Amino acid sequence: MASKKADKGSLKLVPVLDLNEASVLHGQLTSMRGEDVKIDASEVERVGVQCVQVLLAAAKTWEADSKNFVFEKVSEAFEKTMQLIGINIDHLLAKEIRQ
Amino acid sequence: MDMNEIKEIFFQECEEQLAELESGLLKLNDGDRDPETVNAVFRAVHSIKGGAGAFGLDDLVSFAHVFETTLDCVRSNKLEPNQDVLKVMLKSADVLADLVTASRDGGSVDESRSRGLVKELEALAKGEMPSGGAAEAPKAAPVAAAAPAATDDSGFQPIPFSFDDDFGGDDAAKSVFEVTFKPRRDLFAKGNEAALLLRDLSRLGEMAINCDTEALPALDKIDPEETYFSWTISVTTDKTEQDVRAVFEFAEWDCDLEVSEVAAEAAEELPMVPVPFDLSALDDEPAAAPAPTPVAEVPVDTKMAAAAARVEKKEAAAAPAAAAAANNAAAAANAAGQTIRVDLDRVDRLINLVGELVINQAMLSQSVVENDTNGTSSINMGLEELQQLTREIQDSVMAIRAQPVKPVFQRMSRIVREVADMVGKSIRLVTEGENTEVDKTVIDKIAEPLTHMIRNAVDHGIESPEKREAAGKDPEGTIKLSAKHRSGRILIELIDDGGGINRERVKQKAIDNDLISPDANLSDEEIDNLIFAPGFSTADKISDISGRGVGMDVVKRSIQALGGRISISSRPGLGSTFTMSLPLTLAVLDGMVVTVAGQTLVVPLTAIVETLQPEASSIHSFGANQRLISIRNSFCPLVDVGRILNFRSTQANPVEGVALLVESEGGGQRALMVDAIQGQRQVVIKSLEANYTHVPGIAAATILGDGRVALILDVDAVVAASRGQSMKQDGALKADMSLAAAG
Repeated sequence: MASKKADKGSLKLVPVLDLNEASVLHGQLTSMRGEDVKIDASEVERVGVQCVQVLLAAAKTWEADSKNFVFEKVSEAFEKTMQLIGINIDHLLAKEIRQ
Repeated sequence: MDMNEIKEIFFQECEEQLAELESGLLKLNDGDRDPETVNAVFRAVHSIKGGAGAFGLDDLVSFAHVFETTLDCVRSNKLEPNQDVLKVMLKSADVLADLVTASRDGGSVDESRSRGLVKELEALAKGEMPSGGAAEAPKAAPVAAAAPAATDDSGFQPIPFSFDDDFGGDDAAKSVFEVTFKPRRDLFAKGNEAALLLRDLSRLGEMAINCDTEALPALDKIDPEETYFSWTISVTTDKTEQDVRAVFEFAEWDCDLEVSEVAAEAAEELPMVPVPFDLSALDDEPAAAPAPTPVAEVPVDTKMAAAAARVEKKEAAAAPAAAAAANNAAAAANAAGQTIRVDLDRVDRLINLVGELVINQAMLSQSVVENDTNGTSSINMGLEELQQLTREIQDSVMAIRAQPVKPVFQRMSRIVREVADMVGKSIRLVTEGENTEVDKTVIDKIAEPLTHMIRNAVDHGIESPEKREAAGKDPEGTIKLSAKHRSGRILIELIDDGGGINRERVKQKAIDNDLISPDANLSDEEIDNLIFAPGFSTADKISDISGRGVGMDVVKRSIQALGGRISISSRPGLGSTFTMSLPLTLAVLDGMVVTVAGQTLVVPLTAIVETLQPEASSIHSFGANQRLISIRNSFCPLVDVGRILNFRSTQANPVEGVALLVESEGGGQRALMVDAIQGQRQVVIKSLEANYTHVPGIAAATILGDGRVALILDVDAVVAASRGQSMKQDGALKADMSLAAAG
C-alpha cells in the first residue's frame, strides 16, 4: 500500500515508493479526487520516477479542478530525489516548510 | 526471497556469464572480430563484477575490475586481441571462474597465479594505451596551473561536489557531456529505476538537469507504469564518454539515450537545475544499487535478446526511420527468449510421476484388453487417446531436461589449456556439435569421465612438440571433441592426432599384469580395448595429471553406469579416437517386448533394423556351433539370445523363433534369435545398478503393464559376447548371466 489516509483529505506516503506502489498510489489519489489534499511525505525513504509521475499528474489534475494539492511535510530523501531528477515542487510545498 | 536465495541466483548467473565469457574468448581466438562478441565478453565480466560488488565479494570484484579494464581496451580498439593477449584472457577467465567457485563454496584460489595475471592484464592495458585510456579512471597528476572551475553561461550554476575521493576536482581536464535520456516502460519493468541511474550519473561530476514533464497526462489518463518524463542532463566531468554511457549499461536497450560531448560554452540553453552536491540522504538504500538487480533477476535470454536488438539498433542508426522496426524486433526477441528458472528437483519429480503414469496407463490398458475381448468399447478408444496424451506429456517433460552439451565442452577447453601448460605441450581443442541436446543427468555425469579422457589425451595421447616435429607433424597438437545424435543416442567422440596406442607396450603390460595370457592372439581392436581393463596403466611415470592406474576402467564404468558404451580405435602415428555412445535420456525407451526361454525381455527399438521369421533354407551352419542366416543374399551371424544369456543350455531351433536384425554401435549387424515377439511399447527404465547390481548383457529393467519386472537387453554387450570379445571377463559374464537368469 502506497499510503494511508489518516484523515479525510490527507495522505501519508509509505517509505518505499517504487514501481509496485505506483498503481496503488494512483488508486488512492483517484479516490480523493475533488477534495483538497495534503500529502505527508515525511517518511519517504525512496521514491521512484513512476510514483513521482503519479504525484505530479495528480497535482496537475487538482490544479485544473481548482483544488489544493499540498505537500505538508517532506523527508530529506524525497526532496533530494526531486532535485536529482530535476523536478521542482516548491510551488506545491506548504508555506510552513518552504525555504 | 531472502539474501541467500538472491546470492544463489547470482552464482547461477555467474556460471552462465562465465560460459558466455569463455565462448566469446574462444570465438575471438578463432579470429572472430565482431564487435558484438567483444561486447558480450565485456558484459559477462562486467555483470559478474556488478553482482559481486553487491554481495561484497571483494576479491572477485577487484580481479573482475582489472580484467574488465583490459577488455575495455579491446572493446575500444586500443588493444588488438591477438593470440598472446587472448592466452592471458583465457587464463584470466579460468581464474575468474575459480574466484566465483571460491566465493560460492569457500576455499581459496591460487593467489600467486591470480596476482601474476593481474599484472599481465594491467601490463596489457597500459602497454597499448599510452594516453591512460578510458577504462581506468585516470588519477591525473596534479596540474600546477589548475584548470578553472568549469563555469559556463548557459543559465545554470554548477556546484562542484564530490561523492568519493577519486575525483581530483579541478586538477584534471574536464569535458562537458550532454545526455538526453528517455526511459521506456521496459526499463522499469526490468527492475531499473531512472532516479538511480541519474544518481549514478551525478556521481561522475557536476550535473545540471532539466526534466521534460510535458508529456505527463492528467491523473485519470495516466498509466502508472508508463513513462512520461524525459531528461536533458549536462555533466561536467573528467571521465570519458564511455564512462558516462557505462552508467546506462544495463538500461541502454530500454531507453532512448544520446550522449555527446559539447563545448563548455555551447551547452544546451535549457533551464537546467543544478543537482545538489549532497545526495547522502539517498545513499542509505541498501538494496537500491542498480547493478545487482539486473544480474540477479533478468534472465540471460532477455539480455541476449536485448543484445540482438542492440545490433538491430546499430543497423537502424543510419536510417532513423527504421528505428521503430528495430524496437518491434526487440519486443519480438524479448517475447521469444523468455525463460524461467525451475528447481531441478521439481522437474525430476514431474518426470518420475510421468514415468509412473506411463506404467499405470500400460497396466490399465492391459486389464481393459483382457476384459474387452472384441476391443471396440469406448473405454478402449479412450485409452488409446490417453496413451497418445501420456506420450506427448512424456516427450514434453523430457524436453525440459534436454540441454546442449556446450557447457561441458567448454569446461574441457580449460582442462586442455591447463594440462597442456603443465606438460609443456601446445594443444588446440576443436569442438563440434556443442549444441547437441541431451538429458541433464547425462550432461552432469559425462563431465567427469570426459575430463579424465581429455587429461589422458593431453598427457599420453599427444606427443611432445619435439617428437611431433620429428615425425613431420604440426608441433601444435589437436584434440577434437564432437557430439552428434545417432539412432536415438548421443555419440561423443574424442579424437586426438597424437601417436596412437603403442600396441606392443599395451600388450606387454597386459601380459605383465596378468590380464591376458602371453600366447593370446588378439586383434588390434582387442589390444586397444585392453586399456579399459581395471588397473591398467601404461604410464612409465606416475604424474599428477594421469597415470595412476585408475584411469580408463573408471571411465568405462562411469559410461556404463549411464547406460552408455565406450570404444577406442587407434592408428599408430596418427592418433586415437574414443567413441562414447550414450542414451539421450535415462528415463524411457521404446522397446520391443520379446519372449526368450520363458523370460520376458525388452530390446531397445533403436537397435532393431528389422524382424524376420527365418526359414529352414536360409539357416546355414558355420564352424562347430555358429550359425548364419542369409538375408537378401548376404550372411549375418545368428545369435541365440537365450543361449548367450544362459537361459538355456542348448541352442533353440531358429525356425521356431523370430530373428531380430540389430545393428550394434560398432556398426556390425547380428540376427538375434528370440522365441516370440509380444509387442512394442514404451517402457520406463529402472536402473539395475541402483536397485541390484550391474548384469552384463542387461542394460536395465522395467515394470510391465501386468506388474512384472522385465530385463532390458544390452544389445551391444550381447553382440560383443557373441563375438567372444569379452575375453577373460567371459567367465564372469557367464556367472552373472546365470545369476540374472536365476533372479
